[in-house]
Amino acid sequence: MHGTASGIEVRNLRKTFGGGAVVACDDVNLDIGANELLVLLGPSGCGKTTTLRCIAGLENPDNDNAIWVRGRNITRLAPRDRNLAFVFQDTALFPNLTVRRNISFGLDMRGKLSRAEIDGRVTEAARLLKIEALLDRHPRQLSGGQGQRAGLGRAIVMEPDAFLLDEPLAALDAALRVEMRTEIKLIQRKLATTMIFVTHDQEEALSIGDKIAVMKDGRVQQVDTPHDIYRRPANLFVATFIGSPPINRFRCELREEGGDLRLASPTFALPVPAELVRRLGVAGRELILGLRPEFVEIGRDGGGIEGVVRLTELLGSRTLVLVDAGGTEIRVLVQGEPGVREGEKVRLVLQLARGFYFDLDGRSLLGEARA
Amino acid sequence: MSDDRSGPGQKALAWAALTLVLALVLIPYAYVIVTAFKPAEEAYDATWLPQRVSFDAWVEVFEVNRFHRYLWNSLVAGAGSAALAILISVPGAYIFARKQFRFREPLFYMIVGTLIFPFILLIVPITIAWIRIGLFDTFVGLWLAFQIFAVPYSMWILRGYFAGMPRNIEEAAMVYGCTQFQAFYRVILPLAKPVIVSVLFLAFLQGWSDFLFSNMLTTGDGPRTASVAIYASTAGGERVDWQVLMVMTLLTGIPPVLLYILSQKHLAKTFAPA
Repeated sequence: MHGTASGIEVRNLRKTFGGGAVVACDDVNLDIGANELLVLLGPSGCGKTTTLRCIAGLENPDNDNAIWVRGRNITRLAPRDRNLAFVFQDTALFPNLTVRRNISFGLDMRGKLSRAEIDGRVTEAARLLKIEALLDRHPRQLSGGQGQRAGLGRAIVMEPDAFLLDEPLAALDAALRVEMRTEIKLIQRKLATTMIFVTHDQEEALSIGDKIAVMKDGRVQQVDTPHDIYRRPANLFVATFIGSPPINRFRCELREEGGDLRLASPTFALPVPAELVRRLGVAGRELILGLRPEFVEIGRDGGGIEGVVRLTELLGSRTLVLVDAGGTEIRVLVQGEPGVREGEKVRLVLQLARGFYFDLDGRSLLGEARA
Repeated sequence: MSDDRSGPGQKALAWAALTLVLALVLIPYAYVIVTAFKPAEEAYDATWLPQRVSFDAWVEVFEVNRFHRYLWNSLVAGAGSAALAILISVPGAYIFARKQFRFREPLFYMIVGTLIFPFILLIVPITIAWIRIGLFDTFVGLWLAFQIFAVPYSMWILRGYFAGMPRNIEEAAMVYGCTQFQAFYRVILPLAKPVIVSVLFLAFLQGWSDFLFSNMLTTGDGPRTASVAIYASTAGGERVDWQVLMVMTLLTGIPPVLLYILSQKHLAKTFAPA
């Protein structure tokens, strides 16, 4: 049985270009529940947009049973027969039509509704998107944000099974981007609809998604809630890609010292927290510690790792402190004022219990057990 | 010119040069108009103002030469050729711009490359072929012959335009209810209007003013075009009535100018970027 009630299921999706030379999507599996907002997140070239275009029918997958909507295999259907709406990064509005005609385009083509019904839906969508005053303009007379609203309107009036949004906010300036992403989420809630949102911006993904699928090199790395993606990354790539400022990484070795298991790196040798001892393995093992900057503290007195403050960066309510600890750069995130000056000697306390541990291939050593 | 720093001397020099060029361009036109209104006996007087304004030449052109018939033929030849060129090159250019297939680039440059071929070499074989297959002295024969150059440059211009058009506009059309063909004619064609008008204009102009093909492929009883009729009226250059010749020249030259004025907006859009 494929596909949930009105959800979308992607099964073993494979898409190659150039006769198999370039693999854009490699065994992608996704299960998007009804009324869920899934974010496809990843660096450019990771296959997230290709996956979305395969779902929309704008690309033809290599395998036959890849895309299912409402339990129906739509892999080979024409885009117009899928009842899915697509919102493009650069709006792709029809330049020769007014905003009104752009929004009604899909319904006009479908030809099932009366003029009055179509006008009604257009007005309703325009009200929801606050673009009623712009309906008689042409796309070139719209700002970036207004154009994207018109693009959303074109999708909304179709009452599709799902909305597919391909980096819709990437071309907007920072302030507008934040405003629009909230609005898109509110609209998704209000319409109670399934939505897939592609972005390369991890902050956008964390803020908007019910679930996030992180992709890299054509493969899905992890699908989880934003909270779990942030707190329980499945591998080193996810841990590194998510979070700003980025995570601290240390290559370490487990060492037995006087009956204690210690985590040793060129800059430190710290006892492994009791609750982790069993999971991390035995002495001699090499691993990678990932520690978010908020889990490094600047110590008030003795103990911890010695370092010199190289730089402080104010990030609004928090401050990033860059510390040089014996040649290793450590990022520390502190609430409010840092209380240290550049060039000052400090001692750092690593909260190892909050760290992520990976083997040298980047796989998490904590696995599901930590959940 | 607000930041023009040239001195008054340089300015005067520039004006003088421009005036000279303008005169070189305009004086022949003016003389054509003046001559068209001269009586036959004054045609060889190198005067600017005729002693008597005469319409004799105009009457002769229409009543004796029946020149309106040839103007009509030129119109049909040019318009038909333009329409055929669009019908062939719009779909062709679109496919060459959008679809991936083997040998796409070599094939395209083979088509455009025919523009380099000295087409005068084609006239004799085409005339012989047209006589054999019954296209000699027909409009269809003229239209087909004109495609030899109309199609390559139309394809060239149109393909560049289609290739530069964002692909996702078509994709949007296809997501929102169009087949690929509907996306093409409902969305792409309206957007391509300026280029299509430009190509129509160029193809029409070429058909309207063609001499070599029209002269070889038509007879006085068939669809002889205006430019050939002008040549024929002088008996191959043996007998020249300048005032009559100038009237015909004016009549043949004015329609393209009017068309240019009408389509100028679109032409500017197409060719200004280049």
